[in-house]
Amino acid sequence: MEQEVARLIVDSLNLEEVSPEDIEPEAPLFREGLGLDSIDALELALAISRAYGVQIRSDDENNRQIFASLRALTAHIEAHRSTS
Amino acid sequence: MRDSNTPALLADHSTPLAWVAGRGVSRAAFLADVRALGQRIPAGGAHFNLCENRYRFTVAFAAILLRGGTNILPPNRARQTLSEIAERHPGAHALVDEPDLPIRMPVIPVTEDGTRPARDSAIPAIPADQLAIHAYTSGSTGHPTAHSRRWDSLHIVTQQALQRFGLDADGGTLVGTVPAQHMYGLESTVLYALLGPCTLLADRPFFPDDIRRALVDHAPANLVTTPFHLDACLRAGLAWPRAARVLSATAPLERERAQSAETLFGTTVREIYGCTEAGAIASRETARESLWTVYDGIRLTTLDSDQVAVQGPQHPMPVPLPDRIELEDAQHFRMCGRLADQLNIAGKRASLTELNRRLNAIPGVRDGVFIPPDPERTGGTARLAAIVVAPERSEAEILTALAETTDPLFLPRPLIRVDTLPRSATGKVPRQVLLDLLDQHSQCA
Repeated sequence: MEQEVARLIVDSLNLEEVSPEDIEPEAPLFREGLGLDSIDALELALAISRAYGVQIRSDDENNRQIFASLRALTAHIEAHRSTS
Repeated sequence: MRDSNTPALLADHSTPLAWVAGRGVSRAAFLADVRALGQRIPAGGAHFNLCENRYRFTVAFAAILLRGGTNILPPNRARQTLSEIAERHPGAHALVDEPDLPIRMPVIPVTEDGTRPARDSAIPAIPADQLAIHAYTSGSTGHPTAHSRRWDSLHIVTQQALQRFGLDADGGTLVGTVPAQHMYGLESTVLYALLGPCTLLADRPFFPDDIRRALVDHAPANLVTTPFHLDACLRAGLAWPRAARVLSATAPLERERAQSAETLFGTTVREIYGCTEAGAIASRETARESLWTVYDGIRLTTLDSDQVAVQGPQHPMPVPLPDRIELEDAQHFRMCGRLADQLNIAGKRASLTELNRRLNAIPGVRDGVFIPPDPERTGGTARLAAIVVAPERSEAEILTALAETTDPLFLPRPLIRVDTLPRSATGKVPRQVLLDLLDQHSQCA
């Protein structure tokens, strides 16, 4: 699952420099980590909603934590994805 | 009758000024917050208004005015940008509602949330010629540039816009996705409420589902947004409530996208033309109109340089516009593109010359150029790339140094290091040569 989300990040953000295996599960995705910014957050939220039916919201209690790392993001998606 | 030389700080309406955490904050309760915060701000001078929460921004904005001061609105929060601006305003304090200020300066925390009891007190007046804002752009001359606006000029443009969009008649909630520090955000998500009958939303919805929920909670609301966010809403696959109006600015909106947005939100989409230098000056109904119609009282003239300048009752002097404009008549114009040096990424503007200057000012960078994105490119948001000669610096070091002065949206992706840039005799590098270098690089990666 983590690799699947890593692939989603790389594909939806056109990160030509990065391969999914390169994303450290615990490293920050934004700023000093992968260097993502607010445009990427929105693009990623759209991709996550298409792939998993999970809507990301600003007022989610742990919004900063959701995008904190690949592992945190994967955990959030798993906890909220529509049961199918 | 109020003296026109002292326009009111606040329009007297029965509608709430703001929604804060679902509660309506009356104009009297807002005024109580403004007076209380004002007691903590030094009189006069200019102060940074960095509040993220739109209600707190508006309380800070009004409190600074009430104390005879000017709001400093920076173009971004990069450390060096803030410190360069701060150097020009000795004694400036920063009004903040988040703790992470990247530079050291005296701070005034803003915690007002509209819960103070309203007292029956008269609405204060502010001198017409008091400078209300110094709106900074990142500039093209090496330093941030201030565009200062008098209090009466903000009054005038707000009345022009309220009338143009019919907001003076029915007001409604402003669901804004743009920051209040941006000129468009200030005018359309703060001043329409402060100086008109609208009600602002303290939160800044960002993700499509945030926007949808705000529009549901306050239906029918006015969505004040950008092509970037409209595009996200169109792609989100959500069920949307009807909006009262949709306003868009910061970057050109394509006609097809305006038409789709009209279907999605069941209302007219109006695009606003403006810039930090002159504020908002014109609008169009993009789904049906390609010509822009200026606000009442605005005139356009062509300068000797062929550049077009705007002048209205809010502009003491004609203001040159940063775009290529073709005049149809004195009230209508066509926008034919930006001046060559101007870049626009997701609605934020920057000067290519200035970005190149900053890149080459980084110690260890011997040569470097930014490459603007292909205008024909489709899908996703286009990014800048950069090619740099810097044998002793890593990509990460260069990016960190750039981030000191530059909004994150303009950081290059990719940043490529090469041994030398193939400059021509005139010192230029042809765009095709740069694109070839980029191509080679992506094949190697």
